[in-house]
Amino acid sequence: MREMNRSQHFIRKYFSGISLSTVIHIAAIIIFFWLVFSPVIGLIAEAIRTSLSGSSDLISPFNLSGRRIGLLFSSISLATLVATAGILVGTLVATFLWRKFRSFAPVILLLLLALAGIPPYIHALTWLDVFAAIHAYFPLFPVSGWLPSAWVDLMALLPIAIFLCWVAFASVDVRLIEAARVFRPDMTVFYRIILPLAAPALGAAFGFLFLICCTDYSVPSLFGADIYALDIFARFSATGSATQAFLYAVPLLLVTIIVIFLSRSGIRTLAQTPNWLSDRWGNPPVFPWYYRLLQGIAAGIVILQILVLFSGLILSTSTLGTFFGSVFRSSDELVYTLLIAASVILVSLPLAIAVAGEMKKPGIRGSFAWCIALAPLAIPAPLIGIGMITFWNNPSLAAVYPGILMPVFAAVARFAPFAAIILYVQMRFIDPAFFEAAEIFSRSPWKKWSRVRLPLLAPGLLVSAGILATLSLAELGATLIVAPPGHTTMTIRIYNYIHYGASGEVAGLCLAITLLTLAAGICAIAALQWLYRRSGNMVFYCGSDGE
Amino acid sequence: MPDTIFYQITCFLENAKRMARTAEVVPFVIVVILIITLAIVFLPRSPATQMSREVIVYTSVDQVYSEPVFHEFENQTGIKVLPVYDVEATKTTGLVNRLIAEKNRPQADVFWSAEFGQTILLKNQNILSPYMTPSGSDIPRQYKDPEGYWTGFGGRARVFIINTDRLTTDQYPHSIYDMLDSEYTGNSMGIAYPMFGTTSTQAAALYSLLGTEKAKSFYTRLYERGVRVVDGNSVVRDLVASGQLSFGLTDTDDACGAIERGDHVAIVIPDQQDSDIGTLFIPDTVALIAGSPHPDEGKVFIDYVLSRPTEESLFLAGWLQIPSRNISVPAPCINNTAIKLMNVSYQDVYLGFEPARKDLIEIFIR
Repeated sequence: MREMNRSQHFIRKYFSGISLSTVIHIAAIIIFFWLVFSPVIGLIAEAIRTSLSGSSDLISPFNLSGRRIGLLFSSISLATLVATAGILVGTLVATFLWRKFRSFAPVILLLLLALAGIPPYIHALTWLDVFAAIHAYFPLFPVSGWLPSAWVDLMALLPIAIFLCWVAFASVDVRLIEAARVFRPDMTVFYRIILPLAAPALGAAFGFLFLICCTDYSVPSLFGADIYALDIFARFSATGSATQAFLYAVPLLLVTIIVIFLSRSGIRTLAQTPNWLSDRWGNPPVFPWYYRLLQGIAAGIVILQILVLFSGLILSTSTLGTFFGSVFRSSDELVYTLLIAASVILVSLPLAIAVAGEMKKPGIRGSFAWCIALAPLAIPAPLIGIGMITFWNNPSLAAVYPGILMPVFAAVARFAPFAAIILYVQMRFIDPAFFEAAEIFSRSPWKKWSRVRLPLLAPGLLVSAGILATLSLAELGATLIVAPPGHTTMTIRIYNYIHYGASGEVAGLCLAITLLTLAAGICAIAALQWLYRRSGNMVFYCGSDGE
Repeated sequence: MPDTIFYQITCFLENAKRMARTAEVVPFVIVVILIITLAIVFLPRSPATQMSREVIVYTSVDQVYSEPVFHEFENQTGIKVLPVYDVEATKTTGLVNRLIAEKNRPQADVFWSAEFGQTILLKNQNILSPYMTPSGSDIPRQYKDPEGYWTGFGGRARVFIINTDRLTTDQYPHSIYDMLDSEYTGNSMGIAYPMFGTTSTQAAALYSLLGTEKAKSFYTRLYERGVRVVDGNSVVRDLVASGQLSFGLTDTDDACGAIERGDHVAIVIPDQQDSDIGTLFIPDTVALIAGSPHPDEGKVFIDYVLSRPTEESLFLAGWLQIPSRNISVPAPCINNTAIKLMNVSYQDVYLGFEPARKDLIEIFIR
């Protein structure tokens, strides 16, 4: 009887106050952890299994030879160079858009982001031809090595870099800018107010670019520039041991986690503003000539990238017949790829909202959420795929592996943390008073969501969806390992055609991906406009942020 | 009543109902419904739930060549082929590593590889099952595993692809050792990373044939000469075709593809003199996976792929340049009648992989 009272007391104490929303929140965190960490758990389980059986050398991966330290240094240098250049060009282009194309800036950003869906390897192949043409006239111009590799990496990441820089600057409270402009020239305001306030978000953008560049060996290997990620893959290829490759990846993993943790501390200090797509200036800013010159150069680089990419693709596609033919022949892959991208967005966003909420929490709880979000990011894509097989390939999960959802789970494991970080930043922008007011005054939960929560979160959701879609479309390494038999994605088909040498087919499919990304982006912008319609606040409205 | 556990549960359920009415679950519910709908629509097509006759084939043969074979097989047998393709960008090792990871619960029935090294690796990892196919009875013995774990057939060879605008006929290289000749500058020659793909197979063959020291010395000197090391054989082909390189080492299928496109290139089969070592021939290999979900269908597929008509069709399509059997059709791009092949057994080549990769990672990735 006494025991029974104790158990009743326990239940009353710990469970009677639990609401359904709390249960859903906890469930979302568990599912996020389960999906994002499943490859890591799989790899760790494999490592334990092989160490117990004594079938794998677990010591040598931690023996950092001079060669491996050199490779690590090369990786860090290349990623730092590319991320820094990306932030510089992104900053100049974002401010150029304020000055010249204020009303169309979001549309231009969207157009640029659509290019990010094209696999980096395609950018590299297109630029390879340009370098060769220049080399023919200027023999000293390098066609391989670090500089061409860094340039192409930068060009491939440029759309995302510009987009993130725009978001970073939009995180600065416009009222601070307008107040400063009364007393100081625009350039001084930019240096003294905007840049320092946007620095944390720019730091986050740097971390994001650094991470992508550090873990991708496809572009550097095309130019003969060796980085640590290639060494990991070579070990994996040579030994066939995911455990060894995972352990070889640990130093790179530590470096990237450190970079993102540094970025994370910056993100926490962000200023508040509710609308990422609003304009930053009441009147067009006036910059001195040297800054305008730099902006012009940066804009020229972007235009050059677009021209090189599209002229290369269009010239290769040559006719509309080739274009439609390649799209028609790949219709199954196209549908499956789009379904994967849509599912990744649908699965990732609700989970990311829950985890972003946890990341806001102070103390150990918030830090734990950050660990969950960051830990898997630096693992090379093929290892994510192998880890997922180790985790999911058992009889009790026969309906899942090797089912059609596996590429979705693989992409969620790789990219959902990005969505969580973006939504965390968005949540930092939102004044909690809005949510509290909505709790008290909303007539129904539907109106609370549709008129308050969703519109406030919508820019972050839109940005996350865009990033998730573009990264999912271009994903290859993990998808290839877990793709269900009988289903292929567009990226796998594109790489098959690259090997075959069918440049027309490759170009046609890349153009199709770009156009589809663009169409999806336009739909998302239209949805955002619809969400904002009742508040009378157009997304591209160039005014104060009082909404 | 208030003190019972049932009361607590009732309270919780009431609370849940209230939250369900008021809460932020609407978007979550919408998302869950959408996901479930998508899953219901597409899961029935998943092999795990489909009971019709089918065979799951993992292949590193290019999709453009293997897909017509699958379609023809489906038409002839009524067995549906569910393929998974590898790509050169992952160094065509993705599926082998997948097969190793799936070892405890195999998903594939057949592995159809574009080379033999990875297949022998799978045999040694106990992933393959022996199957002596009747349709391969006329394939020469050297292309078969003695225990029947895999069977090879027509394949490709390692060749030089040469840009005819940059080199005249008398300047063509004729041996892999010419790559060490000062007549050619290092950055005018190209090879793919020798730790991956068929370039790695060639390295393993050299390690086996020449011995570790001589082979390592060859690759070290190649690296020191500044030879352009790129991402794959198709990249070597494209760089030579565009004139960025004078010549490079690649496979016959890549080189023949460039000739079919009308690029200004020529093919030279290296080391064809009597005193030379010959060139490496890389056959396709087919193997049955141990514990596969559809072993009978897998055997039917293996019989089909190893049949003479299939080899002829792959030969005509341009995937194979060197047949394993006498084929009456002439080769479209190279004269394959009197090629001197490297005199090394596939098992010996396999044994060369480990020392070769260990050295080559140290030499070429730095």
